[in-house]
Amino acid sequence: MGYYTSIQDWIAFPDPLANPYYPFGDAYNLPYDISLKLWNIVGGAIAWLIDLLFPGNAVSEWLVCDMTANFFALVIFMLIVFMVVFIAVLVVLWEERKVLGRAMDRRGTMVGMMGFLQCVADGFKTFMKDNIYSKRVDGMTYWWTLSLIIGTSVLIACMVPLSDRWFVVDYECGLLIVMGLFALAPFFILVSGWSQNNKYSLIGGLRAAEMMISYEIPMLIIIATVALQAGTLNINGIVEAQYGTLPYFIPQAVGFVTFFICAIAESERAPFDLAEAESELVEGWQTEYAGMKWGLIMLADYLRGFCACGMIVILFLGGWNLPGVHLTEWESWLPVPELTFLLKGFLVFFIMVIIRCATPRVRTDTILNLGWKVFLPLAILNLVIVVTYKAGGIF
Amino acid sequence: MMADGSGKEGAGAEPTRAQVDAEQEFDRAIVEGKFDSVDMRKVLDAEGGVMDMDKMWITMGPQHPFSHGLWTLIIQADGEIVTDAIPIVGYLHRGWEKETENRTYPKIIPMADRLCYAASMTYTHLYCMTVEKALDLEIPEKAKYIRIVADEINRLQSHLMWLAAVGTDMGNFTIFLWASREREFWMDMNIRLCGARMTTNYPRIGGVRNDTPDIFDRDIIRCTEHFEKMIWEIIGLIDNSSIYQSRMVGTGIITREQCANLGITGPAARGTGVDFDARRDDPYDNYDKVGFEVPVLTAGDSYARYVVRMEEMLQSCIIIKDAMQKIQALGKNSPYRLKAPSRVPAGRHFGRIEDCRGEAMMYLVSDGTDKPYRLKVRSPIFINVSASKPLVQGCRIADIPVIMAMIDMCLGETDR
Amino acid sequence: MARKSKESKGQPAERGLWSPYWREFGKLDHKCWKDLWIMKPIWVTLKVLWRTTAHRPVTVLYPYEALWEPDNYRGRPGLDFNKCLGCGMCVNMCPCQAIVLVDCPDDGGNTVRRPQINIGRCSFCAYCAEYCPVDAMTVTPDVELAEYTRSDLIWGPRRLAYDKTTEGMKVKLETTLISDFKNGNGERRVEPCRVDHPKLEGKKCISCRKCSKVCPVAAIDMVEHGTNAKGRPILWPEVDDDTCVGCAQCVEACPKDALHIEEVL
Repeated sequence: MGYYTSIQDWIAFPDPLANPYYPFGDAYNLPYDISLKLWNIVGGAIAWLIDLLFPGNAVSEWLVCDMTANFFALVIFMLIVFMVVFIAVLVVLWEERKVLGRAMDRRGTMVGMMGFLQCVADGFKTFMKDNIYSKRVDGMTYWWTLSLIIGTSVLIACMVPLSDRWFVVDYECGLLIVMGLFALAPFFILVSGWSQNNKYSLIGGLRAAEMMISYEIPMLIIIATVALQAGTLNINGIVEAQYGTLPYFIPQAVGFVTFFICAIAESERAPFDLAEAESELVEGWQTEYAGMKWGLIMLADYLRGFCACGMIVILFLGGWNLPGVHLTEWESWLPVPELTFLLKGFLVFFIMVIIRCATPRVRTDTILNLGWKVFLPLAILNLVIVVTYKAGGIF
Repeated sequence: MMADGSGKEGAGAEPTRAQVDAEQEFDRAIVEGKFDSVDMRKVLDAEGGVMDMDKMWITMGPQHPFSHGLWTLIIQADGEIVTDAIPIVGYLHRGWEKETENRTYPKIIPMADRLCYAASMTYTHLYCMTVEKALDLEIPEKAKYIRIVADEINRLQSHLMWLAAVGTDMGNFTIFLWASREREFWMDMNIRLCGARMTTNYPRIGGVRNDTPDIFDRDIIRCTEHFEKMIWEIIGLIDNSSIYQSRMVGTGIITREQCANLGITGPAARGTGVDFDARRDDPYDNYDKVGFEVPVLTAGDSYARYVVRMEEMLQSCIIIKDAMQKIQALGKNSPYRLKAPSRVPAGRHFGRIEDCRGEAMMYLVSDGTDKPYRLKVRSPIFINVSASKPLVQGCRIADIPVIMAMIDMCLGETDR
Repeated sequence: MARKSKESKGQPAERGLWSPYWREFGKLDHKCWKDLWIMKPIWVTLKVLWRTTAHRPVTVLYPYEALWEPDNYRGRPGLDFNKCLGCGMCVNMCPCQAIVLVDCPDDGGNTVRRPQINIGRCSFCAYCAEYCPVDAMTVTPDVELAEYTRSDLIWGPRRLAYDKTTEGMKVKLETTLISDFKNGNGERRVEPCRVDHPKLEGKKCISCRKCSKVCPVAAIDMVEHGTNAKGRPILWPEVDDDTCVGCAQCVEACPKDALHIEEVL
């Protein structure tokens, strides 16, 4: 134990890749690196203090050994990833309220930091609300579907990689996993509508299911098309492929528009918010969820909206690369590629907000007609175009 | 299920206390879920024998986002398709007609404002017209033109409020705020004219409260021109949008015959091809001396009613400009208010007016004192809402707010 | 009701005034693909977004900014204490019965009757300001009237004072007499409270002097008209038409209904 002489021996800022328990294989992971160094500062300081009091103890060494460092680094890693997504969602929320306000000839939110703190205040407000639920709901499904809707939304929002070094998992079929989890919510909404013992909720839940069968198929066809053009289902690979050629919204313009509209429907935003149509069904499937339950559902909604924007950015807008600038090889710790990705996402969300501002809610039969008679042919047309590219050897 | 008074026809005998208790016990047991599944199956089978189990009754209102005001629409839905509807009004009944019997004639004017919060001056105008008829009073030209301008300002205000409601009923808040913004300018015109935004208390028996102030003469033309420019923003958002069109075209269709049988008046009837407007066909005040057109469409769906109302707004602008010219030609010194006697000779008199929502009428029975013996109001919406069943039958649940928005409910006058 | 023909009286109205909107959309055959389905609405929205961001939204930040209102804006009633006669015209006309006359000391210490208004009942119809014969009651632009208790909503005569009264806040009641209007003398305006005066039906009068006591402007003199059988003087009220404001307090006070307001039409 003699080699620990000063505090700098305890806090050594280790290289994450040198850690034998490093969970991400060969790929460098920025949030893990940050959390490992954070733990090194915190844990090293504690270890140094303990070592001062009891020189040569085993606890100090345990605190800074590779395994412990890895464990605590993963805990901090989760917090960091979630906090970044959470703040991004707050920004999205603020953007929506502010842009909607201005486009409607009013001011939008006004509380603190150009209205940004209004979202925080609203969050605290929902905490103070009474947690009311009807006595005659089906308790099991009522609570479980709520948790699952929120849980899957948080899960997919955290699984959207912000860059090739800011990810949670990097599977070969990462795109499929994200989209698969994304499509789960309508099932939960259907069951939740059944469980609430309320006719409005029931209709809202049925509408969610009705809507899902119309937009899901063209959306999956387009995802398959993108994967076909990129030659991989790995998100990193898709972004790389777009840097190599063109952002896919140029060759696949048809697919881009179709996917954009399907993504709005997927995240249940206006004009496709049929399941919570507040003018005819009071709050749709959310009618019986009061207080913080409702607040969390709204958070989940915006998480899904953010996630939809992220998927559009990844699939069509070149991800975290700028045209001509290969930010993937960014060597600095400065989060430039991550910010690029987020800014692109906010831009896409801006267009979603404008569409929300300009359109009323569509009817159930309209979205079925659109899905099967317009989007499905367009998606197949897009597939044909890409197959032609591939066969012609253009891409 | 709704109207069936079952259990009443049982031999005329009152149920004993024990029977009542047992029934209540049984009901409570169902509510508390004390039956196991086999018992529950029996109950459901017994009820299913007499009930239409495929269809669902949904009570919309009185506290529901689609009902602008307190009224209830009970609908029977077969999936998303509406098969039946029962409108229920009366939650806002204030005994208006009875209250007027205890007021002197001038004091009823502020009360007539409260009949319709969206277009208060039309009802006040109607009331004053009816009393003037009873007094056999021919009011000055200038007062007639000022009343026309005030009426049209209120028609615009009411139609803009309707437009705002159409926006929220279709799930778009933008229309609500843009239409409210335009409405605010007309409210400002009300303030310039008489000092109040909504409950104006402006027409008087024998004329109007005050002459048009200079500031009103200046701003009304500006406001009209501004509105004719800004309405195109709203038109661009609604008429040029395929989603709005798909929501409105072909929904809520009624025929001319149904219109006639149900007594529907106003824009709802003019969108169905009934070419009648009391302003043109039975002109009161000076409506026969100003130029305007009455839009009529034969399609009979929500969109036709929408277009009729939008065109009515623009026609109101034309009327205002024309009438303001005539007012200015009459000069500042011409009389605008006659001194009306406080007692009205005995008789029965009837007045009608083209309200923003249809044809409003008042029937006055006076007995020679300074208070009316009876004052009956015929509200257009009370009649129009009876059409809700033929309107919504066969449409989807999502269409109900849109269709009922085209009727433009106003509960103040409906329930009185 | 018989339909009148369209050009029955006056000059015929102009027809054929369709608006551009009707010409474009009135045939109900608008094709949405011409606007690229929802591209036109999005374009309109973006234009508004640009306008409100580059300039400012139309909304007003209310507690920090205030809208400009014209002088005749009808907020709470205001009262000029020294101008008021205490005639009770406002009490008579108030449709909500929000006004009562209360006794209160004036500047000299004498007890006078002045209106007290329950703002909680007030409907802001401005009848009180309109019918006030001396324009002591005015409208004011004061609308911030919220209080914590209902009793705070009762505004006494001193509290009703409004120090920034302008000429435009005084609501004038100018009417034309029907007879004048029919004679073509329509430009003459009269105030109804200045032309309607009480008239006595002499036989009913019992010389009780109640009318002269209640008259707020001391317009009634009791004039002797001989003596009665017991030798006491018969006093009949005589109204000074220039001072009388037609408030009808004497009519209400008369125990024998000998007085009534004669309306000049």
